[in-house]
Amino acid sequence: MFEVRFHGRGGQGAVMAAQTLAEAAVIEGNYAVAFPFFGAERRGAPVLAFTRIDPEKIYSKTQVYAPDCVVVLDDSLLDTIDVVAGLKPEGTVVINSKDKPEDIDLGKEIRTGAINATSVALEILKAPITNTTILGAFAKVTGVVKIESLEEAIKRRFGEKLGKIVGERNALAARTAYEKTAIGRSKGIKKLEPKKQWLPAYQELPVGGALVEGKTEAGLIGPGSFIENKVMGWATFRPVRDREKCTMCLLCWFYCPEGTIVRISDRGDLMTNYDYCKGCGICANECPVDAIKMVRARV
Amino acid sequence: MIKIKDLPDDNLFTAGHTACPGCGVAMSIRNAIRVLGKDTTVYVPASCAVVFGTTFPYGAWKVPFFHTAFENTGACLTGMKAAFEKKGKEVTAAGFAGDGGTYDIGLQSMSGAAERNDDVLYICLDNEAYMNTGIQRSGGTPFGAWTTTTPVGTKIQGNQRFKKNLGDIVVAHEIPYYATLSIGHPLDFIRKVEKAKSIKGFRFLHMFTPCIPGWKMDPAKTVEVTKLAVESGMWTLYEVENGEKRITYKPGKMKRVKDYLMMQGRFRHMGEEDIKKLQMWVCKKWSLHYKEKGAPEVCEIEPPVEHHAVTEEHREMHGP
Amino acid sequence: MKRVITGDHAVAMGAKLCRVEVVPAYPITPQTLIIEHIADFVNDGEMDAKFLTMESEHSVMSAAAAASAAGARVFTATSSQGLAFMHEMLYATAPLRLPVVMANASRTLGGPPGIWCEYNDSMGARDSGWLQVYVEDNQEALDMIIQSYRIAEDKRVLLPVMPCLDGFVLTHTVEPVEIPQQEDVDSFLPPYSPDITLDPARPAMIGTFMPAEYIMELRRQTALAMESAKKVIGEINDEFARRFGRNYGGLIDMYRMEDAEVALITMGTVTSTSREVVDDLRKAGKKVGIIKLRFFRPFPSEDLHKVLSGVSAVGVFDRSISYHGGGPVFNEVRSALYGNSLPIINHLAGIGGRDVTKEQIMKMFDVTIKAAKGEKMNLINWHNTRGESV
Repeated sequence: MFEVRFHGRGGQGAVMAAQTLAEAAVIEGNYAVAFPFFGAERRGAPVLAFTRIDPEKIYSKTQVYAPDCVVVLDDSLLDTIDVVAGLKPEGTVVINSKDKPEDIDLGKEIRTGAINATSVALEILKAPITNTTILGAFAKVTGVVKIESLEEAIKRRFGEKLGKIVGERNALAARTAYEKTAIGRSKGIKKLEPKKQWLPAYQELPVGGALVEGKTEAGLIGPGSFIENKVMGWATFRPVRDREKCTMCLLCWFYCPEGTIVRISDRGDLMTNYDYCKGCGICANECPVDAIKMVRARV
Repeated sequence: MIKIKDLPDDNLFTAGHTACPGCGVAMSIRNAIRVLGKDTTVYVPASCAVVFGTTFPYGAWKVPFFHTAFENTGACLTGMKAAFEKKGKEVTAAGFAGDGGTYDIGLQSMSGAAERNDDVLYICLDNEAYMNTGIQRSGGTPFGAWTTTTPVGTKIQGNQRFKKNLGDIVVAHEIPYYATLSIGHPLDFIRKVEKAKSIKGFRFLHMFTPCIPGWKMDPAKTVEVTKLAVESGMWTLYEVENGEKRITYKPGKMKRVKDYLMMQGRFRHMGEEDIKKLQMWVCKKWSLHYKEKGAPEVCEIEPPVEHHAVTEEHREMHGP
Repeated sequence: MKRVITGDHAVAMGAKLCRVEVVPAYPITPQTLIIEHIADFVNDGEMDAKFLTMESEHSVMSAAAAASAAGARVFTATSSQGLAFMHEMLYATAPLRLPVVMANASRTLGGPPGIWCEYNDSMGARDSGWLQVYVEDNQEALDMIIQSYRIAEDKRVLLPVMPCLDGFVLTHTVEPVEIPQQEDVDSFLPPYSPDITLDPARPAMIGTFMPAEYIMELRRQTALAMESAKKVIGEINDEFARRFGRNYGGLIDMYRMEDAEVALITMGTVTSTSREVVDDLRKAGKKVGIIKLRFFRPFPSEDLHKVLSGVSAVGVFDRSISYHGGGPVFNEVRSALYGNSLPIINHLAGIGGRDVTKEQIMKMFDVTIKAAKGEKMNLINWHNTRGESV
């Protein structure tokens, strides 16, 4: 049995990638299942999807805990998520990154295939949709499915949903990634602290789950506690304000759906708190004096 | 009247919530609660707002929050307010329901609270489809729009019905206050929330709240698309106070509905015939709202507007 | 003071004596008299409650949940289709630990419609987390409204309670009822003071979206509260008996069980008729007794196990069918008596409001006595039903 775990963000198509991989495996005469972890997160938040491949019928209906391969659609996830958790020692990582495998710190020295899938996707698909692109890299690195089978699976699944041309373009993106993927070993320097979570026993759980403002070892809980949820990883772009041009009309402060733009009344100034910026660009779009520009959040 | 600068610095709906980038609902909630203030208790029925506003043990609300089900915003507000009144507490009972939770499954409960004229504030965050379940048609979905239950097929393309006239249904309950709001018109928005807060009885604020994934659009355009909805007549800004209707913002020359449609992927499949049909519907609505007595019936339409992109790169990322 | 009143009137008097603060209401036969009486009390200034004329039972339970979360003592009443319509909200009130009390006038549920007594309405709510108590006369109906608030609001329980009274057989029957003094009820039942409410002075989140990491513990917590209720029900029964002089036995009550060899487990008004049948059988030298199953949730498994240890057969009366062969009570009793080898015989009767006569109850004992003697009897017996019947 070959087990794959996909890490992506809501809207990046991790689930579609997992399903397409399953279809490619089936085309080759295998049995395969693909399923998402059904979180309730919105677009931009981290999501998981899984694929299992085996010559025989697969009965296991649990999530994958010790994958043979981890596919990372967005390397910004490395800042907050231990993507190699549970990965078998002889396993493989396939990652969307502009860096060479040797320059990627996964917290574990492990066989790694790196592809700048975003750039390939922008070039061929004219959109940063990397789920098909990265599958090409997967085929190259693991050899679990042939690139031809993947191309066929992509044409089927995407063609069916979005039309023949889209299917073919996506297949081409996968093929291009297949050719360009670099294989090496990652660095294993950084240590990611596992995210602290408050997990009370049933006797300690507040009655009926009703919460007032509180603090646990894992941080704030209850009303207003989302303030500890830093969402900057969601952003592809971020706003930069030109203070000379700014007239303090406060429209950006009013419009920001997040609370990224903070008003400091006593100084009559604004401050941008990038911890909460998801990079929507509304502030820049609405600024009446063009004082805000959106720039790449990560270069 | 409160101006933008008079709004409090601190927000009772904190940052760190998990709404999608550019969410019109999050934007509307944050600004509504700025005006409503801390002596408010909110009920949120099943919707995106429950999930992105609270996920145990975390929450964005700093005012009391209650949720139980989907179809019962009106009734929960009624019950909550009755308890506060019995205990002599001055609290605004405010519900933040979606269009599905108001136009469809929650209509009965809303109607009950409205008809009893219970002293509650009902806010409908109208993003024109069931977004929490992944974009299905609701009674608030406009004509032609793609949703997953009104797909663009080879035989039938998009939603075949026009948006339900919820405003008239609500107003027919003879409530003290109904108003439509646009996040693209901040002063009008603030004034209406403030007014609704001050009035006794059943008040209904109908907010137009773009949804980025549901409308298939650039997240930077939430406000821009809202403004264009108003300028094209797809959304009209008015209030009805004790039966007296007042237009609170009259657009200049009517913009083409096509310009509004072009900004959103959900309408991109629409052919000229369907666009015309929708334009006719808008024209009718436009004259109903804006036409002076004796003025000619025909609505003149401006040439297409040019949309500016935030940056070249941004445009590349999110499409035209 | 004694008054000759209907079961519905008694329930309404109970709610008034409990100084309930919010009453969302919606009519449905045979419960309607309850809310009508309360409306009268409120409009005549005898009762200081917010009476809310809701537009459906779903809205009734929604308003009840919200008012309770906002800190009010809430009462309502329903029946049958109404209970089914608010089913979703039963599952919100219990795990959120909102101690609402709602009387249910037991009535047949579903198509084809009827209006008479059957327990298939409340049995469908048995896994919602609500406590259920079935009463036998109008006095018990009133007394159990008062006790229900004490049980529901006990910090060890904090679960909603549903006192069930037989549709028409009690709801529309007058009999003498002793009305407790207001000051006695006040000293028995202090005002409701929850720790956390929807109060802007101390904001709380109630009913947040809850991921799998927590919801299983929440269920377990609710199950623990239901288990704790067993002890609390006993304590409150005893205290009520001391103060008001009426002892209902707690989870179960017994009649002539001291030396009984055969027992019949009954519920609701059938218990009352069965008392006379037991007296007749005793006169004829038959050592029989009845166990009145008062609380169906929590289910008194331990008590039944204990009191049935000496008998040689037990009959179980069911006023609804569970479509697994027998009735739901039968199923629960068999499960409770697991490991005990005595014959357990199911008696289905009174469904759809068919009158349960003394003859039928006599027959229930007959069949159970035969089983006790080792005769092979049918496990499930339909009484007074056309076709093959007992």
